[in-house]
Amino acid sequence: MRSGFEVITAGIQATIQDLGRIGLAQIGVSLAGAMDEFAFSHANKLLDNKYGTNMLEVVFGGVKLKSIGSTTIVLTGAKVDAKINNKVIEIWKTYKINDGDVLSLGFATSGARVYIAVKGGFDVKQEYGSCSVSIKEKLGGKPLHVKQFLPFTCKELKNIRKLSKRYQPDYDKVLTLRIVAGYQWDMFEKNQRDKFFKTTYRVSGQNDRMGYRLSGEKISSTCKGIVSEPIAYGSVQIPAHGEPIVLLKERQTIGGYPKIGCVIPVDCFRLAQAKQDSEVNFELIDLDKAREINRKFYKFFK
Amino acid sequence: MRCFSVASVDSVIIYFGQDISQSIAKEVRKTFYTLKDAKLEHITEIVPSYTSIMVSYDFLKVSYKQICKEIDEVLEYNDESYNEVTTRLVNVPVYYGLEVGLDLESLAKMKNRTIQEIISLHVNKEYFVYAIGFSPGFPYMGEVDAALASPRLANPRAKVPKGSVGIADNQTAIYPQLSPGGWQILGRTPTEMFDTSYDGFSYLKVGDKVKFEPISKENFLELGGEI
Repeated sequence: MRSGFEVITAGIQATIQDLGRIGLAQIGVSLAGAMDEFAFSHANKLLDNKYGTNMLEVVFGGVKLKSIGSTTIVLTGAKVDAKINNKVIEIWKTYKINDGDVLSLGFATSGARVYIAVKGGFDVKQEYGSCSVSIKEKLGGKPLHVKQFLPFTCKELKNIRKLSKRYQPDYDKVLTLRIVAGYQWDMFEKNQRDKFFKTTYRVSGQNDRMGYRLSGEKISSTCKGIVSEPIAYGSVQIPAHGEPIVLLKERQTIGGYPKIGCVIPVDCFRLAQAKQDSEVNFELIDLDKAREINRKFYKFFK
Repeated sequence: MRCFSVASVDSVIIYFGQDISQSIAKEVRKTFYTLKDAKLEHITEIVPSYTSIMVSYDFLKVSYKQICKEIDEVLEYNDESYNEVTTRLVNVPVYYGLEVGLDLESLAKMKNRTIQEIISLHVNKEYFVYAIGFSPGFPYMGEVDAALASPRLANPRAKVPKGSVGIADNQTAIYPQLSPGGWQILGRTPTEMFDTSYDGFSYLKVGDKVKFEPISKENFLELGGEI
């Protein structure tokens, strides 16, 4: 018999994600992939999985899965009340799950995205080089739905592992997003830039895998429109309405709004855990320092 | 003239000018294909658009300064050797019927022309593919005849059918799949724009020349088109 998870409850939006479709932006395919690579990569590390192994990314929780066959699992990311059968389990810690066990997730009390990973990943097909579900582009399949079967190969991790408390992020802290100046930076006058860096923005209701629109002080540029150009991960667009939009994993590949710079990857990962009304500040960082911080992150996991 | 600028911690954007033009587009194509051919070790992605190219690189291995230098060297070295061998002329069949050309009637009215004249204006030109973006395989092409050019719809459609051929200002494009959009729709092609069976997945490539070929409804349906 096939082993895997039977979906009993699908939640609001749960999708299979790996690190996305790299190299296809030139033909209009968005990157996709895990929104919070910190939680994603820790899940794989805890399970001794290969870097970039696919898992479920669950928005807010609400998912219930029945295991057919046994494996080792880990939950990372947002804090949710999670149970295996009726026993409460911790986030950031591996657990053995047996045939017939039911894993159920409540709703996130801190953070926005929970990752459910199994040893060895799910046996799902790649499309255009990745298993990532791209909702807008309808690639990599669909979001999780009831009665779906998510196959995995039964593998177990001998030891129970846990990420030490001091490395677990606190998603309730005011978030500072560090940005490197770039793109149309010079077209934002000093008083506008000052305003931008002094403002505490709030995450608006318009936030999804494509990007987060923030609300707060409006800023303007001297730019009278630009010709559509390629958009990097973390780009901070300032459209005519003056409020910033941070573009994330499922962003469009090219676009015509002025950009003040880019949020560095490790901070984009944190933004992906922010809920509506969370407070967000921006801080300027120079390129060398940004490189060093992100290099540390990737060196640790790769 | 090319000008390097930081895009993000792992990407540099190269600007060739500020306005859309044939000569800048040629410079973009030349740089795009030269860089692709050079296969520089640390480059992970090269994305061309109208007046710029973004190059992403492995920032764990090279710095911004180093990658700019490497790119510059490749481009200096290949400055003379490039020719437009990559330019293909691609015929794209289009059914310009009223049931699929959703904005034909209103456009004809607005431009004070017959529907046939509107179609002819669209068909009688060759277009260059400037960029592919917005969605997988979506080609941005130009330039549309000044007599036909018109802005995007004030109220974008929630659903533009797959294969729809539209215009926005002096650009024309094809919707590879059902999606929201605000371009004015003139007709529909039965040709798949994005598929695993194509080399490079996209039917059209940056630098291709495109000619639209009017076909009958029967022909459209035979070729797999759906109404």
